[in-house]
Amino acid sequence: MNDKINFNFALKSLAMAVSVALVPAQAFAADEQNTDEKIAKLEQQVKDLQQQQTASLADRFKFNGFMSGAYVSADNNSGYLGSSTSADFSEESKMGFQATFAITPQTQAVMQLMMKGENDWDVEAEWAYVSHRFDGGVQVRGGKLRVPLFMYSDYLDVGYAQPFARPPEEVYGTVPFTTYTGGDISYDIDFDDSTLTMQAFGGESEEAGIDISNIIGANVSWTDEIWTLRAVYGQASLDGPVTRPTTITMADPTTGLPVDVNVNVRILDLDSEKATFAGVGASYDNGQFLAVAEWTRAEVAGQYSDSDAGYITLGYRINAFTPYVTAAYYETQDDDERVVVDENSAILAALFNGQRTSYSAGLRWDALDNLAVKFDVTYATDFGDTSGGFQTNVLREYDDVTVYTVKFDVVF
Amino acid sequence: MNKLLSVIALSLSAVVSAQAAVVVIGAPGAADISASDAKKMFLGKGSSSAVVYELDEGNATRSEFHSKVTKKSDAQLKAFWSKQVFTGKGNPPATVNSASAMKSTIASNPNAIGYIDEADLDDSVKVILKP
Repeated sequence: MNDKINFNFALKSLAMAVSVALVPAQAFAADEQNTDEKIAKLEQQVKDLQQQQTASLADRFKFNGFMSGAYVSADNNSGYLGSSTSADFSEESKMGFQATFAITPQTQAVMQLMMKGENDWDVEAEWAYVSHRFDGGVQVRGGKLRVPLFMYSDYLDVGYAQPFARPPEEVYGTVPFTTYTGGDISYDIDFDDSTLTMQAFGGESEEAGIDISNIIGANVSWTDEIWTLRAVYGQASLDGPVTRPTTITMADPTTGLPVDVNVNVRILDLDSEKATFAGVGASYDNGQFLAVAEWTRAEVAGQYSDSDAGYITLGYRINAFTPYVTAAYYETQDDDERVVVDENSAILAALFNGQRTSYSAGLRWDALDNLAVKFDVTYATDFGDTSGGFQTNVLREYDDVTVYTVKFDVVF
Repeated sequence: MNKLLSVIALSLSAVVSAQAAVVVIGAPGAADISASDAKKMFLGKGSSSAVVYELDEGNATRSEFHSKVTKKSDAQLKAFWSKQVFTGKGNPPATVNSASAMKSTIASNPNAIGYIDEADLDDSVKVILKP
């Protein structure tokens, strides 16, 4: 390097010495500077052109990913958030990979594969769709999509993009399925300083042996990137048996010794029951103070729970730290439809009546520019004379529970 | 005490803004844009045909630009783009690593917009917005 500089310097000195005799020194210096600038510019242009050429195909493919690792434990075995008194590292740990291919500037294919600890790390496609954007703000998508019922539905698993350790279970747990196969159409209207988005969706899904058909719904949201307001309505037809995993002790047919057998007990048959969902949400984030609130109502014809739920989260950013608090509630609204007259109706009442209020305090720490660490303590109480909404607590052994979470969220 | 603190804070912020006056630039023939246009373009919203360039993450001018135009901190911007990416709504703009690379990129494309510190300005580009 030094040799080169010296050599250049020597060359320039030589040129200077020769040229001094021929032209005024000042004029020459100015000329040389111009030439250097021109060469630098040309070099940059050549580089840009080369980049444009080689990048064209590679640029059409984009790969991204996200990952969460969580430690969850609780002070009892009520089963809230899948927790227990023993430390759990898999329930909320997950990994996602996304590939996006731009077929044309307006058309793209997106595939997002998820592996979740709670599903034994089986690979599942959460998103797999083709989208096309028309001029004028209309976009259509078809394939496997997220059911857009909640404010965080579209990026439910991307913890990094959420302020809290997890979206409140009281609200987000009311609808047990998160994806559907079908299509949606959305329309963006751009105002001077804000955007209104209307989205309609339709399709079908399946969850734990229940067919979810004729899904149809719409949502509307408005945002100026500080305020976001949202409303949603959706409905579907549910068909199939509601089952519950239970362990039964039986006598082994050959040895006669008692053995535990895991069976799915059929609790309720849904016979094309109509389910409806309505929700409203609002959030405020001025860069320092943040507030999010959602309220939802889910109703299913017949004995299955109809419930109201809501939450409010408040947070405040202090550099890399965002402490937050959340209050959330869940309450079934149709307990009087499950009158207890015999053993069977008692089981239904125990399983489908539920109420619960939870309070969370947590901290998000933006430790690195793509890594957030979250600490959360959530206390759930006010179960009334119900299980709290936990199938694992139908005997009402517990009337409150505290869950501790330490979680990291990464995007790459 | 509070008054003293706010005086210090004010004078500090005055110093900071005097040092780093970020300007939005386009090619020499480009038309001026409004602050809300710039916000939309840099958040990938609207149906503009502009090609947007950002400085690399961690660049002080980048942080200054976003605090003024999109009102997002570095971490918020990262969270915003991860939300857009993983919902298929958009990808963050391409980045360049220096003010000079920004200028030559913008100068050679009439549809491109970017930003640099005012101190790095020259005739190759035009200021289309002073946020």
